[in-house]
Amino acid sequence: MDESRTVRETYDRIAAHFASTREHPWPEVETFLEGREGSLGLDIGCANGRHAQLLAACTDRVLGVDVSRGLLREARDRANSRRFAVDLVQGDAATLPIRPGRVDIAVYVATIHHLRDRETRVRSLDELARVLGPDGRALVSAWSTAHDRFDSEEGFDTTIEWTLPGGETLPRFYHIYAPEEFRAEVADSALALEAFEVSSGNCYATVRREQ
Amino acid sequence: MKESLMEIVCCPIDKADLELDVEERDGEEIVSGTLTCTECGEVYPIEDGIPNLLPPDMREDATA
Repeated sequence: MDESRTVRETYDRIAAHFASTREHPWPEVETFLEGREGSLGLDIGCANGRHAQLLAACTDRVLGVDVSRGLLREARDRANSRRFAVDLVQGDAATLPIRPGRVDIAVYVATIHHLRDRETRVRSLDELARVLGPDGRALVSAWSTAHDRFDSEEGFDTTIEWTLPGGETLPRFYHIYAPEEFRAEVADSALALEAFEVSSGNCYATVRREQ
Repeated sequence: MKESLMEIVCCPIDKADLELDVEERDGEEIVSGTLTCTECGEVYPIEDGIPNLLPPDMREDATA
């Protein structure tokens, strides 16, 4: 089964409701962006653009990439109503349609855990490394076993349903990371780890490309 | 999309330059058209102002 397609179809279906529940940026992203500035910002898995909005305040131009066209439309609506500029592209996190070495600041938040297998996830990290400039920095986050709702201490694949207001549920594939496993995937990619923390049940890695 | 986006995007598969063909424009905004890879010839649609640069195997039935 093509899980990436299922995830996209689910997000296309739930885009408006999902966006309405994702009003505020994550404090960890705000902290990462504090004091940073650059020419080009990139939000991989931008959803409704709440973090692209923060990137717009510290870069000259922001590119938001998402696999779901429904979510990209939500991002466009948010950009129009909040008056920030973002360029939107429908694309795949593991096959980025972006030229190499161009990005100064990137956020890749709560997205990599939707990619089906380890090979694809490491490839997406390699892609992030490819598009980062020599001084570029990125924040990568994923859901982890440290979250209260999970009992396992080892990483695992699961399906987590999204419930629409009418009660209809739609599946979303997730890989829930053990924190050490997340660090190992970063280490196996062309990214170098600068900082790592577990916060609110998520793993956060601040990364640059390997020299 | 804005035409200046051409300086940033590339073919998702081979990362080669893309060639822009505009069908409909609204001021600075390109509403519809195509992006064609100068290397592999793959054609990527721009619909409703948003380019679809998913790799071809993910683009099937992705017009929702």
